[in-house]
Amino acid sequence: MGHTIFGKDVYWMNFAGLMILTIIEVAAVGLDLPNDTTLMILVGIGIPKFIMIAAIFMHLWGDEDSGVLTLTALFPAFFILVMILFVGLTHPEAATGLPEWCRPGTYN
Amino acid sequence: MSEDEEYDHPSAWGPHDWHHGAPHNSWSPLIMSIGIGIFLFMLAGAFSNGVYDASYVPMVLVGILVVFCGLIIWWRQDMSFDGHYEPRARGVPFKNIQIRKVAMWIFLMSEMMVFTSLFTTYIRYRTGIENCQTIFERGDWVAQGYTVEAGEAINCFEPASALISTSWFHIAPGAINTFALIISSFTIVQALRYAKMPVGTIEEDVRRKKIYRYLGSTWFLACLFLTLKLIEWFVGFTLPDFLAEFNHGHTHIPSLYEEGYLINAEHYHRHDGSWHDPVTGATMLADIRVSASTFYVTTGTHGFHVALGIIGLTYMTFKAWTGGYTPDNAVSIEYFGLYWHFVDLVWVLVFPFFYLY
Repeated sequence: MGHTIFGKDVYWMNFAGLMILTIIEVAAVGLDLPNDTTLMILVGIGIPKFIMIAAIFMHLWGDEDSGVLTLTALFPAFFILVMILFVGLTHPEAATGLPEWCRPGTYN
Repeated sequence: MSEDEEYDHPSAWGPHDWHHGAPHNSWSPLIMSIGIGIFLFMLAGAFSNGVYDASYVPMVLVGILVVFCGLIIWWRQDMSFDGHYEPRARGVPFKNIQIRKVAMWIFLMSEMMVFTSLFTTYIRYRTGIENCQTIFERGDWVAQGYTVEAGEAINCFEPASALISTSWFHIAPGAINTFALIISSFTIVQALRYAKMPVGTIEEDVRRKKIYRYLGSTWFLACLFLTLKLIEWFVGFTLPDFLAEFNHGHTHIPSLYEEGYLINAEHYHRHDGSWHDPVTGATMLADIRVSASTFYVTTGTHGFHVALGIIGLTYMTFKAWTGGYTPDNAVSIEYFGLYWHFVDLVWVLVFPFFYLY
């Protein structure tokens, strides 16, 4: 990968960006903000950090084979969404709390 | 036997002449699988039903030894790899992409699923079980008898961040680790950059030094990561007196172990006294096994991946020191780098959600 960002080496710029975002992340927790605000900031910073590492350090952007490898990396995204939405965000007692009509015959 | 016939059946123990193709008859995968099998079975025996049985320990060590024997064979074969044989995929969708690279991505996909299941577990319990602090502030735990004095514990979720993010010094090991991993991601791409520089554009001895120094730095940062994790989990540390005022008047930063934040903590209360009710004089007692387990399993699985990376980096740094990396075989650093960046990527999610929130 021989790209530049604002005329600077792409790896250096990515590295500097990640360091700055991490400093903001840690500082946000130190500010003692309401829980929901902290969560929004952490998610808001986590997503670009995730993309920066995957796109630039892992060469999912800018290389000849980046397109097909990005699709490969995104393949489990569907399963990840299913797990997070339908398992992660359900209640721990969701299974035992299911109404009778919703349970398999052998379920007690 | 002619020379060509000999190369059709190269040594299964390495080193190997890669001009005649890959060593398909390597014993390494089989030996490593057997070693891992012995290790896991014996480890399960050593900690069966919560009871520690020391008689299994020698066989646990045998398992580790067998794994290392397999690794040495693999490394002996790889040491001779000069980039002469790098097979590419022939069919769609990966046509002309190196097979090793595709394999690494598929491996990383399976790793994504592993960590997703851990994150999903965390989200499920974090959102589904009431937070311990919320229960404490509501105050009805006294009437319900969930107190140290009564000995009855309430099941609630106590995130590790409730202990870790109480002061800058508690966060310090995790925060330093975050920076260490980001820097290590950078050092490994620098090693790759120097390895890929075309012959003639850089002196070979300079290339050799740059690569092994960058890989060595990555190794050092990975070791730092695990050391700080051990300090955070088991050791703790002490601050100089003048820093006490920035840490609520205390100089000692206790480890999570000292805090009692353990996977079997069914009778847990905060050691700083913050679950104490001044009116009744009672202290809330909580069962935090679920929250502690999700924390240790997730961060421990990540730490295990860092440990595996250290093993790989040890070999790669040695190979770089011998001048083993050239533009022809620089992709080996790239493939390991993919794994290492993935480890960094996971930490990008683990750190905020397990340490800060």
